Amino acid sequence: MSEDRILKLDRRNGLSRRTTLKGLGAAAGLIAAPGFVRYGQAQSSAPIKIGFQCHRTGIGAAYGRWYERVTAAAAKRINDAGGINGRPLEIVIEDDGTDPKRGAEVVEKFANQHKVDLVYGTLFSHVVVGSAPAAGELKIPYYVVSEGYHVASGKLNRYCVQPGITDVKAQVRSVAPWIAGNLGKKVTLVYPDYAFGHDHRDFFEPAIKAQGGEVVAKVPIPPTETSFTRYFPQIPSDTDVIYHVMVGPAVLTFVKELGEFFGSGGPQLFGFIDSLEAVDIKSPGLEFLEGSHFWEGMPRYAQPDQPDYVTAYREAVGIDENGASTGDAKDISTAAHMFGCWETLNIIKASMEACGYRGPEDRAAMIEATEAMTEMEAGPDHPQGKKLFNGKTHQVFGEQSISQVSDGKLKVVHRTSIEDGSYEPEADYTTMSF
Amino acid sequence: MSDRRDATSLFASLFVGIFFSLMWCSRAFAHASDRGHVLLLPTHYYLFGGMLAVALSFLVLVFLPPEGLLRLSSQRLPIARIRFDGRGFVSCLSALFLAGLIYTGFAGSRDPLSNPLPLTVWTLLWVGLTLFQGLAGNIWAWLNPWYGPWRLILRLGVPSRGFLRLPRAIGMIPAVLLLFAFAWFELIYPAPDDPARLAIAVLTYWVFSMLGAVIFGYHGWSRRVEFLTIFFTMISRLSLFSLRRETGRSRVLFVGVPGHKLRDTAALPLSGILFLLLALSSVSFDGFMRTFLWLGAIGVNPLEFPGRSAVVLPNTIGLLSMFAALCTAFLLAVRAGNALAGGEPPRRAAGHLVWSIIPIALAYHFSHYLVAFAINSQYALSALSDPLMQGWDLFGTADMYVQAGVALGAESAWKIWNAQAFAIIGGHVFAIIVAHMIAHRLYGGRKRAGLSQIPLAVLMVLYTVFGLWLLSAPTGG
Repeated sequence: MSEDRILKLDRRNGLSRRTTLKGLGAAAGLIAAPGFVRYGQAQSSAPIKIGFQCHRTGIGAAYGRWYERVTAAAAKRINDAGGINGRPLEIVIEDDGTDPKRGAEVVEKFANQHKVDLVYGTLFSHVVVGSAPAAGELKIPYYVVSEGYHVASGKLNRYCVQPGITDVKAQVRSVAPWIAGNLGKKVTLVYPDYAFGHDHRDFFEPAIKAQGGEVVAKVPIPPTETSFTRYFPQIPSDTDVIYHVMVGPAVLTFVKELGEFFGSGGPQLFGFIDSLEAVDIKSPGLEFLEGSHFWEGMPRYAQPDQPDYVTAYREAVGIDENGASTGDAKDISTAAHMFGCWETLNIIKASMEACGYRGPEDRAAMIEATEAMTEMEAGPDHPQGKKLFNGKTHQVFGEQSISQVSDGKLKVVHRTSIEDGSYEPEADYTTMSF
Repeated sequence: MSDRRDATSLFASLFVGIFFSLMWCSRAFAHASDRGHVLLLPTHYYLFGGMLAVALSFLVLVFLPPEGLLRLSSQRLPIARIRFDGRGFVSCLSALFLAGLIYTGFAGSRDPLSNPLPLTVWTLLWVGLTLFQGLAGNIWAWLNPWYGPWRLILRLGVPSRGFLRLPRAIGMIPAVLLLFAFAWFELIYPAPDDPARLAIAVLTYWVFSMLGAVIFGYHGWSRRVEFLTIFFTMISRLSLFSLRRETGRSRVLFVGVPGHKLRDTAALPLSGILFLLLALSSVSFDGFMRTFLWLGAIGVNPLEFPGRSAVVLPNTIGLLSMFAALCTAFLLAVRAGNALAGGEPPRRAAGHLVWSIIPIALAYHFSHYLVAFAINSQYALSALSDPLMQGWDLFGTADMYVQAGVALGAESAWKIWNAQAFAIIGGHVFAIIVAHMIAHRLYGGRKRAGLSQIPLAVLMVLYTVFGLWLLSAPTGG
C-alpha cells in the first residue's frame, strides 16, 4: 500500500521507474532479511498518512513543483530505511490552489476524509495563516515550511509548528552582523511597500543598529511599479550598502535599471535570494549583480567544500551543480527553501518515534515531542545545517549562507551562526491547551 | 492564373513583412521564461509593428483587386473519398473514454497534475482540440461523447427529432449561457482543477446534454444548446479541410486555403454573434485578470495575490464587462461600417462579418494557452498512462520527466513571446482578409466594401495591440 503511494508520488516527480522499483525492492528485502525487524515488529504496519498541502496550482505552483519533488525524495529515503516506527509513510497530496480559503478546506478534508495523521508542507504565508485555525479546531498537527514569522509571533495555535526552516525575522537578523562588518554600516533599504517588505524593514533596522550601523534611507516601492529609475535618486550618496528585497515579475527590470543608474560604481548590494528563487542568475538583465551578495537558506550551487550528506541530498532531490533539475537544466530549483520539506519530514519521523506514535490519539503527544526538541546536528537528516528548535515559539533557528555572485554563480562566502539570528521568544505555545 | 498569383504574393508579402519586423527586433535583443524576462524584451516595438502590420494589410486589401483572393479562397482540391461513417462508433468509444475519465476524477489521484480528468478537459480538450479543430477540421463531430450514445438510444424507438421543439425565438441563447458558465467555472471558480469537483461538473453536463439530445433531438440540441459542439464547429471553419457529402455514406475530403470555409458561411443570429464574442472575450479576460492593471483596479496587491476565492465577485463583473465591451465595440463597428458604405445596408451584416473573429479567437487561444499547454500536455501524457495511479504504464509515458524548462528562462521567453506575437498579429491580419472577402460579398464593389470595413479594421488594430499588451504586461495572480 505505502509502496504504491510512494511509487505514485515518485512517478509524478519524474523519478525513473527503475530507481523507484529498486528502492522498493530494497525495502522489501529489508523486511525479509534476518536481523531487520522494524516493519515486522511494529504493532501496526498500517501506513503513517501525511497530508501534503501543496501549492500545485495558483501563484505558488513553481515552488509547489519543487516542494513535491523534495517531499517525494525525503519520503522515499525514510521508507527505504524502514519507515516511521516500523510503519511506512504515505503521502496524500491535495492542491490548495495557493488560496487560503481552499487551504482551510484542504486541512478539513485531510482530517475528515483522508484521515491523515498530520498535515504538512505549506509554503505561502497567507495560506498558512488561513489554514492554521482549521488545524487548531480539528486538533491535527500542522507542520509548515513557510519561513513566515507568523508561527514564532504566537498568532497561530499549538498544533502549528515550523521546525524545518528558519523564519524571516531570524534570517534578516542573522545577516546584519556580516553586512556591518564587511560591506559597510550605512544602509539604504529598497523594498516593496507591503507586508513582505515591511517585515524586512522592521526586522533589519534594529538588527543593523545593534551592530553599530544605521539605516540612512528607506525607499518603499509601490507593488504595482514596473519602472524604478525615478526612485533611485532617493538613495543617499553616502550609502555603503543597498539592501534590496524586490519580488515579482519586475525584479529583472529593477536590477537592470539599478545597473544603468549606477554604472560601474555605486554602493555594495545585498539581497535576499527570494527575489530570484528559481530564476537563472545568468539571465539577461542581471549582469549588475556580479560581485553582489545574497542571503541563501541553502546554497543553490554545489560548493567545493560541501559535506557528503549535502551531495547525497542534492542527488536525492535531483538537482545538478547549478541547482537545476538533473533532467532539465532550465528548471532552476527553489533550493533556498525546499530543503525545509526534507528536514521537516525527518523531524516528523523523529517526533513520532520519540512519542511512540500509534495513531491520531497521540497527536498531542507528537506535538509535545516536537516541542521537546532542541539541538539538531547537521547531517543527512538536516543537510542545510545545524539547528536549534524553540519549543515555546514552535520555530527553528539555523545557520544561514551569505553568497557572492561570481561568474554568474552564487559562491558561499560566509555561514552565519544560529546566535546571529536568534531573538527572545515572543510567545509560548506550550502554555496553550490542546 | 494571374489573379491567383496576385493573391499568393499578397499573402506572402504580408507574412514576410511581419516576419522581418519581428526579426529586426531580435537583433536588438537576442535573448528572455516567465513574465519577468518578457518585461525586458522590446515588446513596445511589437505592439507598434503589429498595429502597423494589421493596418497596412487593410490598406493593401482596399487597393487590391479582390478577384484573386476570392478565387483563391474558392479553390478546393479533393484529396480523399471516405466511404464509411464511423462517427457513431467513435463517439461511443469517446463516451466510454469519458466515463473512464470521470471515474478517475472520483477515484484517481487528488493531485490535479496527476489525475487525467483535469488535464484532459483543460489541456487536451479545451486547448489542444481547439487548436486541432482550427487547423485540421471538425474532428469533434466524431469525438463528441453524445452522438454515438444518442444513435444507440434511437434504436430503442426514440424519434430522431426528439419529443419537443426548442422555441425558435431563443436562438443560441442557451449555448451563450452555458459557455458563460463554462468560462466562469474555468476562470473564476476557485477550484476548477479539483478532480472530484470537475468530475461532478463533467458528469452533470454530460447527463444534461444527453437528456437534451433525446428530448429535443440531437441536431437541434447541438446547434443551439450544446456549447462545445457549437464552439468547436465554429472554430473548425478556419481549417484547411472540409468534408462534403456525395451520395449515401460516401463523402469527399477537400483541402483549401485556411479560412476558405469562412467566406460564404451563413449569417449567425444575434445570439450566435454573442456566442462567438463571448468565446473571444473569455480568453481575453483570462489574460487581463492577471495583469497588474486589473489587480490594481480591484484593490489587490499583485505581489500578494490572495487566491481565487478572494476575487470571485470582481472577476465575475470583469468577465461580464469585457464581454459587454467587446460586443458593443463589434456591433458599433459594423453599424458605423454600414453608414460609411452608404446605400441600403446588407441584411444581417454583423452575423456575416462576425465570422472574421474566428482567426482572432484561435490566435488568442494559441498565444494565451501556449505555455500551459507545453507543460500540462506532458503531465497529461504521463497521467493517462497510469490513470488510477496503480503503477500501470499503458502508453510507455508514465515515467516521462515533465520538462518544465520548455517554458523557463530568458531564451524560452524570447521564443514563446515571438510565437505568441506572430500568432496574434497573423490572426488579426487573417481576420482582416476574411472580413474583406465577406464584405465584398455583402456590399459589392470595392469602394463600398472598403469603406464598410474601416471601423472594423480600426477595432482589429486596437485588439491586436490589446492582445500583444496582454501577453507582455506585468502579471500577478
